[in-house]
Amino acid sequence: MTVRVRPAEWQLALPLALAYAAFFLVPLLLLIGVSAFDDEKITTLGFAQWRRFLADPFTWKVIVDTVKLGGLTVAATALVGYPVALVYLGAGPRWQRVILFVVILPLLTSVVVRTFAWIVILGREGVINQALLWLGLAPAPLRLLQTEHGLVIALTQIEMPLLLLPLLSVMSRMDPSLRDASAALGASKWRTLVRVTLPLSLPGLVAGCMLVFASSTTAFISQFVIGGNRLVYLPLLIWQQSLVVYNWPLASVAALTLLVSVGLGVTAIAAVGRRSRAYAV
Amino acid sequence: MTHARFTRRQFLAAAAATAGALAIGRPARAKGSVTAAMYPGTWEEAFRAHVVPALKSAHDVDLEMTPLFAVDQIAKAQAARGAPPFDAFVLDPGPRVTGIDRGLFEKFEARRLKNVGRLPAGMVDDWGVTVAAQVVGIGYNPKKLPRPKSWTDLLKDPWVSRLGMTGFQTTYGTVSIIEIAKQFGGSETNVEPFFVEIKKVLSKVAAIGAPASMPALFQQGQCDITYTNTQTVATLRGRDVDIEFVKPESGAVAFFTTMHVAKGSREGENAYKYFDTVISAPVQSALMQPPNNFIPVNRDVKLAAALPMASLDEMAKFVRHDWSKINPLRAAWIERFNKEVAK
Repeated sequence: MTVRVRPAEWQLALPLALAYAAFFLVPLLLLIGVSAFDDEKITTLGFAQWRRFLADPFTWKVIVDTVKLGGLTVAATALVGYPVALVYLGAGPRWQRVILFVVILPLLTSVVVRTFAWIVILGREGVINQALLWLGLAPAPLRLLQTEHGLVIALTQIEMPLLLLPLLSVMSRMDPSLRDASAALGASKWRTLVRVTLPLSLPGLVAGCMLVFASSTTAFISQFVIGGNRLVYLPLLIWQQSLVVYNWPLASVAALTLLVSVGLGVTAIAAVGRRSRAYAV
Repeated sequence: MTHARFTRRQFLAAAAATAGALAIGRPARAKGSVTAAMYPGTWEEAFRAHVVPALKSAHDVDLEMTPLFAVDQIAKAQAARGAPPFDAFVLDPGPRVTGIDRGLFEKFEARRLKNVGRLPAGMVDDWGVTVAAQVVGIGYNPKKLPRPKSWTDLLKDPWVSRLGMTGFQTTYGTVSIIEIAKQFGGSETNVEPFFVEIKKVLSKVAAIGAPASMPALFQQGQCDITYTNTQTVATLRGRDVDIEFVKPESGAVAFFTTMHVAKGSREGENAYKYFDTVISAPVQSALMQPPNNFIPVNRDVKLAAALPMASLDEMAKFVRHDWSKINPLRAAWIERFNKEVAK
């Protein structure tokens, strides 16, 4: 007797799972494998590269700087992005479509183009400096390019869609009667925001923050083009070791370090999200 | 109205006939093709405009280009392990030495090039052929700064506060830093004096950027002086940027761009035809004209007035470097540069 197997959910997920195994899991294992060699030509097994990399105080400074960059970008995008989401929440359907389009717009141009545009904006003779000089707010052009705050400003714009898309999707599903009820029960607008809207939108905010963190810490092009060589982050070390000096074991060590740092950062954001949700409820 | 109906057998026969016709028709279209790695930007555009049609009309070979920087070509070829993703390399001296060390090239047979006799001595060896020269010196904005004379001027006022720098990631960056180090007592294998000197003025330096962003930084006025090659200067001038090239007192640096057959390539024959076309006088001459601004290597080409030399033989007087000595030191230099300039 034959048993008829009905397609279960796991079978539907199989194509993606296989692709994931082939294009992520296998390369990841290779990466771990390559990192366990001592020499550039990948012949002698050993952990010399790990020891060398992790024993260097400069490495730790770079790791801290990379995670800090992610943290600052998350803070800036959340601070600027959340009010936009609130405007979206209060807008009518037509304006919601306009806001959504404006949010998605940057995704339609390549990140390289957006990054080079920021050179024009942040440069010594760029838009911001021209405006500051014209308004008499600065005696000489400020140095914005190749500084951490300049990079955070640029990344805030570049990564903004990643924060807003999950946030807006959660917000649009929010039941408007809950806010009305809060108002009817005498809560101020501020109290409604803190006690009703914010907790309800938290899953979207947390998801957006995780995406922004992962994307900004690994944004090699933006980091290198806007930050230059003065700001060294892990992706620059990976590029130098893999493509300039061909020390693949050390590049793998740096790549795995980045993976772990980003993973820890994302986990931390998720944990903060869970805790604050528990607090809000 | 009736529809024409095919049986499965008729359909298969027709399909086979079509495929057969395509297969036979194909060699009649072109004698073949060659896939060449190509520097993105100026090189790719110039080759598309001049080399592609010349190779087609001279040898009936189609040229396909894969845009890759020199370092990326080495990384890809190495990762491919004997099944190269392209047939021909185009490389700067540093990656070229790496390629030789790691066995990525077929042995080169100079006699297969018709135009080889038109190149100055030393332009062909067992590994490849030189197709262009690059001359590195100082580029500065004459409207903003006085004319610098030597490499050491870069680290002095008023130039240093408008200086744009790159590290050891590129060939031109590496040779420029070596030349600065030499002025302070260093050598090809000792750049320590550079690090000592740069530390004193680091806070004044206007920009330390990614190599690919340097032209944009100059164009935007973020820096007004930088070490660079004549081709970049000519390209920026073509876009109405105020920039002039200066040969430093101790001499400009010259290095050569070479082409190589990838190990395991099946289109070796066509690769030689491609190289021969690239070094032919008409193509070299076209590549020299704006907006391409290449420095030619074929003796039959009359040099443009804007080039930093009157004849190719003058290049012998330019400063040259031995990359087999530089390559082993470069990783440590890059690491050192990161640590010294990072805030």
